[in-house]
Amino acid sequence: MHRRRFVTLCGGSVAMLAAGLRGVRAEPFVDFPKVRLVDAAGAPLKAAALATNDAYVFHYPLRSFPCFLINLRKPAGEPREMTSEALAYTWPGAVGTQKNIVSYSAVCTHELSYPSKEGSEIRYAAEASPLSGKPGMIVCCAHDSIFDPAAGAPRLHGEARDPLLPVRLEYDPAEDAIYATGLAGTWLLDRFLKSYRRQLIAEYGAGVYKEPVGATSAAVLLNTYSGGAVSTC
Amino acid sequence: MSECINRRDFLKMGGAAVVGGAAVTAGCASAGPAAVSAGFKAALPRAKGPRLVIVGGGTSGLTIAKHAKKEYPKFDIVLVEKRDMYSSCFSSNLWYAGLINLEFLADHSFLDAARNNHYIYFNATATGLDRAGRKLITSEGEIDYDFLVVAPGISYDYNRIGVKDEDTIDALRTGYPGGFISPTEHVTIRRKVQEFEGGLFLQYVPNGNYRCLPGPYERACMIASHIKKNKLKGKVLVLDANPEITIKKDGFHAAFKELYNGIVEYKPGSAITGVDLAKKTVKTEFDSYRFEDASIYPGVRASTLIEHLGLMDAKSPQKEALISQLKYNYIGDERVYVTGDSRPHPYSKSANTANTEGRYVAKVLAARAQGKDITWYSPRTVCYSMVNANPPEAISVDAGYVLNKEGTAVGGFSPDTKLFEKRDAAKGRGTLEWARGMYRAMFEG
Repeated sequence: MHRRRFVTLCGGSVAMLAAGLRGVRAEPFVDFPKVRLVDAAGAPLKAAALATNDAYVFHYPLRSFPCFLINLRKPAGEPREMTSEALAYTWPGAVGTQKNIVSYSAVCTHELSYPSKEGSEIRYAAEASPLSGKPGMIVCCAHDSIFDPAAGAPRLHGEARDPLLPVRLEYDPAEDAIYATGLAGTWLLDRFLKSYRRQLIAEYGAGVYKEPVGATSAAVLLNTYSGGAVSTC
Repeated sequence: MSECINRRDFLKMGGAAVVGGAAVTAGCASAGPAAVSAGFKAALPRAKGPRLVIVGGGTSGLTIAKHAKKEYPKFDIVLVEKRDMYSSCFSSNLWYAGLINLEFLADHSFLDAARNNHYIYFNATATGLDRAGRKLITSEGEIDYDFLVVAPGISYDYNRIGVKDEDTIDALRTGYPGGFISPTEHVTIRRKVQEFEGGLFLQYVPNGNYRCLPGPYERACMIASHIKKNKLKGKVLVLDANPEITIKKDGFHAAFKELYNGIVEYKPGSAITGVDLAKKTVKTEFDSYRFEDASIYPGVRASTLIEHLGLMDAKSPQKEALISQLKYNYIGDERVYVTGDSRPHPYSKSANTANTEGRYVAKVLAARAQGKDITWYSPRTVCYSMVNANPPEAISVDAGYVLNKEGTAVGGFSPDTKLFEKRDAAKGRGTLEWARGMYRAMFEG
């Protein structure tokens, strides 16, 4: 996608929100340039080698927008219609030979907590956490939200009103490769860029934070990415 | 580690408010407002839809202003706030131990909140109310309203510590502020902590449903952290009017014992009955204590504005508003609402409660503006308390509420309420991110 078109798309969503439009609006997945997931060293990520005890963090479709890649310990549910306060869409389900690889924005839809290199309040808890009491949940400890990644990440607890925003994946069985190809809407992306603009400029540089991530995106385990300073709720 | 809070804890937490406010039909309206005319109209743009006027730019007012517009875009919203600079009361304890700076609390603009959320910020003080004429009187003129929300927070009640004369009240306010209302109190307390060289620092915990139940204990921990870090020959005396720590007691007791042995002295059941400021002494029923410095949190009542506007329940022990527990409107007037810490509900008077309650009240207002109704749902009290500053470690609670059997008033904690009382660094980080999320929730679009 041309960069100008890309920025316009995001800007247009901001304008819709600013106009005060309210209510659920059906929105198909938004296509973004196809990006191959690689490891920290730049080698292609192999689905068969993914860990199951932690989520991976990668950035997509922008250099600064963090997403989770999760290898669930069981097959995910079937694709389903998702409706929230913000929009309606079809969650495409999981990919991989076992249908257990899913991806969502790592930005909490409640008040936008996200993983940084200094730490993360939001995480995938493969084991039962004190807050959720059951395994395989995404928990955001900032305000105690729980999401189920095996079912499209609907909110199970907390003040979030929207599911975590899914990232559409594509799986290539010939190479055991994983690609990201789109997002379920851009309202969260827009809000993230607006909310953290000061910090993102400081971290990435003016304008750099909203550049497309490129042909590949490195996926790193959350505990590594956030220096071990990950929530435990 | 977690455990449930039981009904007994709930009653202890909000007992006074339950007694006074649970049955709204037992309430009784107070005297009417003092002022019914400013003599001039406020200089505001013409209303372009039903005008919703909100008094108070704290957590409740800011949340309602934002979400009422989202719920019903036709609302023309005016937020009346007497301050021209925001600084949060929540998280202020962390400043005393150097975990945050003033920018963390205050780098949040009313102008940005209004611009991001499409309402008007009007810098004025509410002084009177004409409910029959649907006019709010302010220091900057009258404002006509279709719906009015009054969210002015709390005022201190020095009667609770046996102090009735204005000279002593003024001396206490100035010299030993409670630190649970205004930013200028926070600045004073921070100076006190930084200038403390030893001796006894008194932190008082009032009874009743006071604002921020864990706040005085958290502050004691932050001051004790400062004493410990700087190896001062001093300690914090926590005089508690209650028979036990009011919330997260295991977590606070553990901190007092394990982190601050010899630095924090905790005395429950020690209600202050009088003060002698010349001798820097407070009296309890059986003892007196001389302090080097102090923060005396005398207990709370609803903001005096609630009384002045004629919205007080005269039977309420904390002089809280006479409103519907489910819909928040003043009894007999569905155009006027009271929210936040002036409410009579036995909720924790906390920012997270006010924020989640505000989102619900925004839905109530949107529904009523369209002739509809909505079903009650509970606010949520997610509340962190920092108990160690070196390194930052915290404990927390996540509480919801349920109605009584009749469905008419709040009757207790919800079954999914949990306490997390084993302090750790993850919750220390969570304490800061919780606050950042609250700022985003109020000031961003």
